[in-house]
Amino acid sequence: MREQLSKYVELLFAGTTDTDEIRQEILQNSLDKFDDLVAQGKTPEAAYRLTISGIGDINEILGQPSAAPTPSPSAKVPQPKQTELSDNNRKLLRASAIALYILSAIPTVLSDGNTAGVCLTVLLVAIATAIMVYIGKSNPETAAADSGSEFSTPEAEQTETTASSPKTPEPRSKKTARGIIWGIGTGLYICLSVITGAWYITWLIFPMLACVQGIVSAIFDLKEACKK
Amino acid sequence: MSIAGDLIRGHTDAIILARLMQADSYGYEINKIISTLSAGRFELKEATLYTAFKRLEEAGCIASYWGDSGAGARRRYYTITPAGREASHRLLGEWRETKQIMDKLLETEE
Repeated sequence: MREQLSKYVELLFAGTTDTDEIRQEILQNSLDKFDDLVAQGKTPEAAYRLTISGIGDINEILGQPSAAPTPSPSAKVPQPKQTELSDNNRKLLRASAIALYILSAIPTVLSDGNTAGVCLTVLLVAIATAIMVYIGKSNPETAAADSGSEFSTPEAEQTETTASSPKTPEPRSKKTARGIIWGIGTGLYICLSVITGAWYITWLIFPMLACVQGIVSAIFDLKEACKK
Repeated sequence: MSIAGDLIRGHTDAIILARLMQADSYGYEINKIISTLSAGRFELKEATLYTAFKRLEEAGCIASYWGDSGAGARRRYYTITPAGREASHRLLGEWRETKQIMDKLLETEE
């Protein structure tokens, strides 16, 4: 179980750079907690579960290269400012990404589904997605520092990096929405393909799903932005 | 957690500084003390704790060093700086005042 815990912490930090010290620190403290819980009579499985759930949202740490403005009302400690993307810029980028998602359908429609048109659609979707990922990555996490962001999971999903405040479990509902979109989409793909036999064209459902997902996630983000 | 965890979390920095006023310590130990003192009703997420450590360290309120314990465990210890002591005193004073005011504001005569 201890090895499993080490692996878990390793995985949390997979793909990150410059996090060696934090990783070591969290790993050691997690092992301490695990040992302590076992010593208190918990089963290794229960101790493992408790330890993992006690780690919380690692994005809270990773999302802030230096230090984000703290939301805690009483913490009067001077804060270094961090402005990577101003709110306006972010809104603008998000809007253009949504526009790209919508416009991406045009080449395919105009070209009657020939390869060049489809390629252009996929390209537009890719650019829009890249923008969304960029926005997610440079989000200064205004609300995450002290909020109990128990809601997002540690997987390296950049879209999940968006700040989560304690009373808005958006990331989870966003996740559910994504699950539903891809679940239905995949089902649709298989059904349509089997029924029509048009395998050469039905795969287009997936780029379309990417569009839908992008739009849905943008709606979630906008909603969150409005709340602030 | 039925108690107002968010309210307490708003004072994470003050809590950590107060703990470090007692003695140098490391993440798990601090969280364990928090849990014990609150009779198991409150505990910080590790991520919240480390974010606070980082913030306090950058603000010059605490400093850290790596310490070795017997069983090959390397722990990062934190120690409070003079600026941190000052901040801790100030935060405690602020809290006492807040508490006084809140008690008055929420009290009803019955």
